[in-house]
Amino acid sequence: MAPAHRDPRIPAPASGKPWRNAALVGACLVLAALPVLLGASNYLLGLLISALILSGIALAWALLGNLGGMVSFGHAAFFGVGAYASALISARLGVPVLLAIPLAGLCAALSALAMLPTLRLSGPYFALAILAYAQIFRILATEATGLTGGGAGLQRFPGLPTILGLDLGSRTGSYGLLVAMVALSALAYEAIRRSHVGTALRAIAHSEDATRVVGVNSVLLKAWMLLLSAFMTGVFGALNAHIIGFLEPAYAFSGLWSVMPIIAAIFGGYRTVLGPIGGAIVIYLFDQLVAKDLIAVGHQILLGLVLVVMVLIAPNGLLGLLKRRAGGRPHADA
Amino acid sequence: MTDLILQALFSGVLIGGVYALVALGLALSFGAMRIINLAHGELVLLAAYCAYLVETRTGLDPYAAIPLALLVVAGVSAVLFLMIDRIRQDRELNSLILTYAVGIILTNAILLAFASDVRSTASPTLQDAVTLGSVYAMTGEIIAFGLSLVLMVALWWWLKRSWYGRAVRAVSSNRAAATLMGISPGRTELVAFLVAGALASFAGVALYTMSVIQPALGHALTVKAFVITVLAGVGSIPGVFLGALLLGVTEALTVTLASSALQDLAGMVLFLVVLFLLPNGLFGARARRG
Amino acid sequence: MLRKAVAATAMTLALVGGALVASLPARAEEVLVGAHMPLTGSLGRSGQAFEAGMRTAIKIFNDASPRTKIRLQVIDDESTPAAAVSAVEKLVSEKAVAVIGGYGSNIIGPASDAASKLGTVYITAGAVSDELTARGLKTFFRINNNAGYQRGMAGLVESVKPAAVSIIASTKEAPILLARGLEKDLSAKGIRVTVHAFDPAITDFKPLINKVKLQDRSEILIMSAYENDYVGIIRAAKVLKPPLKLVLGAWSLATPKMYQEFPDLMNNVVGTSFLPFPVEMKDQEGRRFAEVFKQLYNKDIEYLATLSFVETTILAEAIGRAAEAGTLSTGGLAEEMRRTDRKTLIGPVRFDATGDNPLFSLSMGQHQDGKVVLVAPPAAATGSLAYPALPW
Repeated sequence: MAPAHRDPRIPAPASGKPWRNAALVGACLVLAALPVLLGASNYLLGLLISALILSGIALAWALLGNLGGMVSFGHAAFFGVGAYASALISARLGVPVLLAIPLAGLCAALSALAMLPTLRLSGPYFALAILAYAQIFRILATEATGLTGGGAGLQRFPGLPTILGLDLGSRTGSYGLLVAMVALSALAYEAIRRSHVGTALRAIAHSEDATRVVGVNSVLLKAWMLLLSAFMTGVFGALNAHIIGFLEPAYAFSGLWSVMPIIAAIFGGYRTVLGPIGGAIVIYLFDQLVAKDLIAVGHQILLGLVLVVMVLIAPNGLLGLLKRRAGGRPHADA
Repeated sequence: MTDLILQALFSGVLIGGVYALVALGLALSFGAMRIINLAHGELVLLAAYCAYLVETRTGLDPYAAIPLALLVVAGVSAVLFLMIDRIRQDRELNSLILTYAVGIILTNAILLAFASDVRSTASPTLQDAVTLGSVYAMTGEIIAFGLSLVLMVALWWWLKRSWYGRAVRAVSSNRAAATLMGISPGRTELVAFLVAGALASFAGVALYTMSVIQPALGHALTVKAFVITVLAGVGSIPGVFLGALLLGVTEALTVTLASSALQDLAGMVLFLVVLFLLPNGLFGARARRG
Repeated sequence: MLRKAVAATAMTLALVGGALVASLPARAEEVLVGAHMPLTGSLGRSGQAFEAGMRTAIKIFNDASPRTKIRLQVIDDESTPAAAVSAVEKLVSEKAVAVIGGYGSNIIGPASDAASKLGTVYITAGAVSDELTARGLKTFFRINNNAGYQRGMAGLVESVKPAAVSIIASTKEAPILLARGLEKDLSAKGIRVTVHAFDPAITDFKPLINKVKLQDRSEILIMSAYENDYVGIIRAAKVLKPPLKLVLGAWSLATPKMYQEFPDLMNNVVGTSFLPFPVEMKDQEGRRFAEVFKQLYNKDIEYLATLSFVETTILAEAIGRAAEAGTLSTGGLAEEMRRTDRKTLIGPVRFDATGDNPLFSLSMGQHQDGKVVLVAPPAAATGSLAYPALPW
């Protein structure tokens, strides 16, 4: 657990020295630029783009799980709302795509307002209530044929534009945009974690009753985390929609968008910022490059096995494991 | 119109009977261990495929597969339990993830072993129509409903009267006190988990006799079972049964009075309403939270 | 920190390296054809049937072709567009000359876009949306379309002149498109049409069938859905016995496989079909297909396998011609595809400027005591329609 000189019940964020963080950011940037510098094929960039989309959702999921203390099984709800909102706002209202994407994030956050009653629920009840919302949204999108095209799908909406000579719709452009978006989300997450809000949230996670006594409005803070997580997920849903160029309810609200981020975040370590991002990239590439070659039909069985092994052997994820090996601070919250 | 509604009520009650069978196991392991077994639907499906195997290989009635299903599902349940038992930190979260992962493994294992074709019983007797006044059903559904009733009573009796049943209730209400009374919580939980597995076996075989199965079905079964557990409230066996009937009837009435595209919507809305407004479920003995 | 960065860098380098190794070119003496199919998930069943048809076609082609040998590589697209696009990019990077597309317009749309950007021929038999051919891609081809299904089914329904028809349709893309199209066509002919859309999660169809029985009182029940739905719907109908005269379905229904697995549900049911069963002597290609299919998979031909057999055969022949002319590596394949004009197991195939097959129309087959008899259109019929006739 936490080092002895701190209050063991309220772990503090890493008090890393500035140069360390700078080195970390630098290393990440170099890593992100590598595929482009090495001239990776469109195929590989395509895989990385999908992996980064998952990274974004995994980060949003982990934000809710780590800071809000809530495990969601239905992030597909926000992903789908974001995807449809952006497609419709850009196609019907003629709003530029790059503006439609954050607006779609807002729509996803708005949809999360409908879920505020779930904040009173604990553990599995919250997880499955959000799943119910995802189902409900999928059916509503199927039924609202006038707006969404229903089950037949939606495909006439603009793709990503060209900005300053860089075609964001190209593989390289989309990749760059997604790297930037994931980095932005990670910075936002880190900033919140270090703020007073983050401290309060960590305290809530340890003892909700105690913090209530000290005057922390836990429900309000949790609500903000839910809205923020929904916003982030919605933005990545919107990005994905413009990259793929086709939407149907079964796809936009697919359980995949709920499940893969969980696997990724758990694998990488959901109590860290970099864990979900790295976890998503490793898991997705492993699934697509290795597992598929080994077992053509049913390769997800390997994902299941990886997840079981992680929960049993390294519940803090890969980063937790690396840290322990490296003899660093073993605490999960660092 | 009356005929339509009568048939909807009847169909709803019958399908609710099977929902109950699927949910009983989940409710039991949840009540006993405070753990939602997200692989429960896949266990049910595993049993259904045992029935398929026995029927196609031996030509026997699908219900002859129950011993095999019990064996297979109990084996998987035991392994699952041992894994859950190894979890040391964040038991609630990690058990959710772990059982979910086992669900993924089982779904894909079934896919690898049986391909993705749809399967269902070929027995003509089970598919025969039964008429009761102006309402209709399949023989298989009537049998499954009867089985569900019997198992519910048996489970209720077991929890009330048998030593292990009482131990399960004791551990679930106060683990520490139960330990002081000389009950081994670990072993009790294992027994509860195995009984839940046995219930899943019966549910799977019954499902095969009256519906269509395919590898991707497991997750949907788990969700249905969880919805029913919430409707019922923790710790109420008759509640599970009534909750399942309520869900079945709601779905059937939605199809009849509104649209078949809204069936799942109705179920989910019912789930959320009960979740938000009735903290004890409809029939629960204890509060869900706190 | 340093260690972590090093570990992460090493991991990325390993992944990049692995991908580079994986994308080494295929052997030169053979031509690679790629395919992406849903091999897992709820559509896995369809993808596997498609794959069987493709492999049969490739085997027949390779056995008969002395010079050009085709190697087929199939990738699971998991029914997700992103994985399908990746598959196309991977296959093209491995020098695939053409890609055969999977199932569902939401998958085919983005995947064929990717193939078009890479200048690679893309052919499909699994996407019926009109939007796909409205894009005007130069390398996109498909052998079937919604209009053909609509014509085939509406033709049969009109021929028996019912007063009322009920359509039960899954809310998934292809079934709902077909249902809406049929509703329009049949209503225009003065037939009373009721559409019941249902969520794919439904398993108990009795309440729905009871509406057909007591409210619609229609003579014909049309199912626009998939195999598991057919079984549930017919089973419910068998219990409730609505006063119908015929049960009609779309794809994957009038096949020997369905009869074999659900003999008590299928008799007299009508569905779209290309070949009678048992396959008759007069159709040389069909017999060879059934024979090799049986030899490879030890089962009788299926609906989707027939479709993919035809698309793959057409593609293989175009590849053969292009290889002969030496234009395979210079983009001559699309040209050769456009020259296709041939009678196939699914009827005549020719491609228009948008890559669609305007000649696609379907024959309808009826299960008659273990046989599949083609009953419409008259030109293709091998027997007469049993009407009124029901599975019960």
